[in-house]
Amino acid sequence: MALALPRRHARTAGAKTGTDLHRRREARFAWLLILPTILGVGLFTAVPIVGSFVLSLFNYSIISPTKWVGLANYGALLHDSSAQHAFVVTIILTVGIAIAQVVVGLALAVAVQRRTSWARSVFRAAFFVPLLVSGASVSIVMSYIFDSQFGVLNYYLGLIGLPQVSWLDSTWGAIFTVMIVVTWQQLGFTFIVFSAALGAVPRELTEAARVDGAGGWRVFRTITVPMISPSILFTVTVGVINQLQLFDQPYVLTHGGPGNATQTVVLDIYEQAFQNLRFGYASAISVILFIVVLVATFLQFRISRRWVFYS
Amino acid sequence: MQTTRSEDHERLISRRCFLVGASAAAGLASLGLAGCATDRSPNSLVIAVNGTQAAAAAIKQAVGIPFLAKHPKVQLSIMAINGTDWDDYFAKVLTLIAGGLAPDLTTVATEGLQLFASKGIAQPLNDYVMRDKASLRGYFADVHPVLVESMMYQGDLYVLPTDFNCGNMFFDTVLLDKAGASYPADNWTRDDFYNLADKWATTQGAVAWDWVVRLWGSWTSWMYANNANLLTEGRWPGGSWMWDTFYAGDPAAQGRKGGWHWGAPTANEPAVVDALQYMIDLKNARLSAPPDVGGGGTLQGLFASNHIAMTIGGGFWAGGLHAAGMTPHQYDVQYFPAWSVQKHLLGDAGYAMLRTSPVKEIAWEFMKSLTEPDALGALIAGNTSTPTRRSMMTASRYAPTGPAHWPVFYGTLDKFPNTTPIPAPPYYQELATAFAARTTQAMAAGSAKPALDGLQGDLESFVSAAAT
Repeated sequence: MALALPRRHARTAGAKTGTDLHRRREARFAWLLILPTILGVGLFTAVPIVGSFVLSLFNYSIISPTKWVGLANYGALLHDSSAQHAFVVTIILTVGIAIAQVVVGLALAVAVQRRTSWARSVFRAAFFVPLLVSGASVSIVMSYIFDSQFGVLNYYLGLIGLPQVSWLDSTWGAIFTVMIVVTWQQLGFTFIVFSAALGAVPRELTEAARVDGAGGWRVFRTITVPMISPSILFTVTVGVINQLQLFDQPYVLTHGGPGNATQTVVLDIYEQAFQNLRFGYASAISVILFIVVLVATFLQFRISRRWVFYS
Repeated sequence: MQTTRSEDHERLISRRCFLVGASAAAGLASLGLAGCATDRSPNSLVIAVNGTQAAAAAIKQAVGIPFLAKHPKVQLSIMAINGTDWDDYFAKVLTLIAGGLAPDLTTVATEGLQLFASKGIAQPLNDYVMRDKASLRGYFADVHPVLVESMMYQGDLYVLPTDFNCGNMFFDTVLLDKAGASYPADNWTRDDFYNLADKWATTQGAVAWDWVVRLWGSWTSWMYANNANLLTEGRWPGGSWMWDTFYAGDPAAQGRKGGWHWGAPTANEPAVVDALQYMIDLKNARLSAPPDVGGGGTLQGLFASNHIAMTIGGGFWAGGLHAAGMTPHQYDVQYFPAWSVQKHLLGDAGYAMLRTSPVKEIAWEFMKSLTEPDALGALIAGNTSTPTRRSMMTASRYAPTGPAHWPVFYGTLDKFPNTTPIPAPPYYQELATAFAARTTQAMAAGSAKPALDGLQGDLESFVSAAAT
């Protein structure tokens, strides 16, 4: 549908034809159709972003008078080791989860690709279902599985003579457990994307390579991976944006602990705003996180020019 | 490039149409959102309750309907707000207030009393209480003064306490019998506790002891038993209007003033460090499970399923354990053991009136109605907490739920005059967050001192921020 955007082609001056009227009506109709989306994005995305930036320039605690502080909240952030630690934790989790999702998702997609069509459907459904469940619900169940003392996992580890693991009570155990839970829950997304991408790889390419003597690994590395590289870029980009905003799983599983081992940036924002009532400071952290997400996404697209192959 | 008039016209009109349309839609949306705001009638009374919708409905049925019979013009609305713990509940109430939807009354526990009072959110009740002192004498005569004092701040009373819980010790009597152990004496000590825990651990395979990371009923009970606290204990001046009017001659009211004053942080003093280190030592000795963070629901479930032999609990555990399927004789309760002293922590709750309430007189009448025995019985039906009225502590009340030694609940107040509220200063929200983080840090690292040095720093920064 043609929107009423500037058109560069020449037309007879002053000619108001039936086509022009039709185009105008089409344009109006098009604007009308996208109006709800624009309003939604404007009201619930753009306005809060601007609002957060404005709020970050104030001290606001709901119950005390609002006070203009300029960039003081950003200055405080520079000296707040716990907020900085939250950024480090978030980056560690983001990188770990992004790598795990791509590697495991791709491996599963490749493995399932070789199955019969009904088996593929079953596996796709099985891997995708966790994605439909809320992060909080999954985390509650997982907290029973990973509980060090009473958890199912340690029970079975004990049965086979393995030592008990402090899944949620040790620093790296908690980080690792959060990674496992998030990866497991969101794996369905990368799996589905990779399954579709693998199905689109031209068979004649891989068969030609095999005829030329290439082994399975070489075919995968030099043909399959480049052909699905746009999908890898897509999943990594979406995954990184999602994980930089990680909240549900660490909140329910560990409350950011032990200590602040799994305190993500969004968890820190939540605590600063809704528990410590430092809405201005929380907004400053939000603005910085927004910039981090923007920069990370920009860098991914810049770097992708070197390795993503668009056929 | 030059564009034709027709093109310009088409483009301008399209955008203009869009802008007009967008503005109109935004205006409509704003009107719609504005329409969502509650338009209160002059007689509407809104009450925020910490609990489920079912609990709110039960309160409306049991307390609201009799109240409405006496005040037929009042429109009563009871709003259930579910919080994972008190700090979560308070955050939601404060958000309501910020959104212009402040209730008239809200549940407030010791945890949030000073927060609500210091920020001017809650209305002091002194004038109301003194005006209606004749009708309130029976209530105060029935309520231990420590429960009243913990609801005072800077000499003013903010809440008529409805229920309370002291940190006592709960036992799984099934495991107690299996271990061949006997119910401990009321003056038992930390060594007795350790011996009992060790007996359970070596003979039963159950986890001898478990606890939860929160301010009430956590390792803080051991801290109190070691005669220590996170903050310096003190009292605000004032309050004589209360003690002289309602508790004259009551020895339990001697020395009471205008509410608890939480002073300089003392979180890394040796006695505090020893208390947390004791938890770590119990865990290392496999006598304790790693604690969960939060309200204690998981802990209660584990206890009710005979996975834990001993834990800290209050009167509200009776209702919780009964609901979880424990019979009255499958568990019991005793005072918390002595360490350097035998001292218990306390938390109580009730309803605070908000300063912004346009219907203060109606709200006050409802508050008073909540102190009646029938209303209190309905509020904490099934022993989901301990009534502040001593006269309601009866054998028949605890017969369906247990425990056998239910007099321990109120007895803690009578037997131990040093029973002290949990340290909940005006900056409680920040304190609760830091407390949880530093406790789990200590448990993970296996060393209490560095974590409590960190907590001391956190608390000092909160005090400093609160002062400015």
